[in-house]
Amino acid sequence: MTVLPWAVCVWLFVIGLYGIITSRNYVHLIGCLSVVQSATYVLLLAAGFRWGAAAPIFYDHPPGTPAVDPVVQALVLTDIVIGAAVTALLLALALQLHRRKGSLDPEELRAMR
Amino acid sequence: MPPRLRLALFALALACIAPALPRVIGAMPVFGSHPLPYGDIINRLAPVQRHVTNMVSAVNFDYRGFDTLGEEMMLMVAVTGTAVLLRGHRGESLTALPATVPGRRIPPHSEALVLTARWFAPLTILFGLYVALHATVTPGGGFQGGVIIASALLLLYLGEGYSGWRRFMRTEALDAIEGGGSAAYALAGLAPMLTGAEYLQNTLPPGQLKSLLSGGLMLILNAGVACAVAGGFGILFVEFLEETRAEDPNQ
Repeated sequence: MTVLPWAVCVWLFVIGLYGIITSRNYVHLIGCLSVVQSATYVLLLAAGFRWGAAAPIFYDHPPGTPAVDPVVQALVLTDIVIGAAVTALLLALALQLHRRKGSLDPEELRAMR
Repeated sequence: MPPRLRLALFALALACIAPALPRVIGAMPVFGSHPLPYGDIINRLAPVQRHVTNMVSAVNFDYRGFDTLGEEMMLMVAVTGTAVLLRGHRGESLTALPATVPGRRIPPHSEALVLTARWFAPLTILFGLYVALHATVTPGGGFQGGVIIASALLLLYLGEGYSGWRRFMRTEALDAIEGGGSAAYALAGLAPMLTGAEYLQNTLPPGQLKSLLSGGLMLILNAGVACAVAGGFGILFVEFLEETRAEDPNQ
């Protein structure tokens, strides 16, 4: 079972990448990018996990009790919020693209001149 | 590039990488029982040095505070970029009506929905403030609290509908909250330099363990982040929901 977390993040990364590659719609592509991104969250949180350890909050249990790694949690926490804002930026790009070209299919778009 | 060619390239890349994957996964540290030196040092030192009980906030706003400044700037740039992209060609009129599709009327809001939204939006804001203010004590912090506060704005949109919602969502105020929060973070880092300390060095008194006022400089940085996140997401909501407006007939 100790292989499962690593396998899950490989699976999330590959399935998200597959979605990006076969995507016929930019909104779908942005969603797939978020799936790829969540693979990194699983990887980070799995790297900081420790059996039998508590959350790194020493309010109810005194400092010194075994706790999981707070560094990766801080990384994931900030990244989720920033990731949501960046997804909004990408969706805004897709919206402008649809307004100008009338399509969200990467195949129907030609390079700008 | 046609999709089939892309897919073939993907399959080729996967075929190259796949044989190595089991070995990489096998070489990973044993899940749940490997040393965590950096995390253990933080867990040991932060309650003693900074008198805080939330280690995640201690990492975000103190030990790696400079990284969070970078995250803060990323948030601001993403929000600014979205606003620039979407604000381009529309007017700024506040009273514009929501757009309609011919043949599909916008149904009037049920009183139950309005009442629920009006009850729960202030409660959600209160909960967001609670989460944001307890950053150094219990699970929470500016990032989480800011997002919760911003989600209350969407609840209000659900209840009031576009026109009523847009009337009290002042973009000037949201811009000021977003930019002010980011500026507070960046400038609070300069204050310790006046005393000869380093940028973002926590020189304020750390306060009592488990107290709402523990953490020193972390409290200011946390408040800046909470404002920046709540304001930033508020701007995003306004920008995207303005896309649902009817075209201004005067333009």
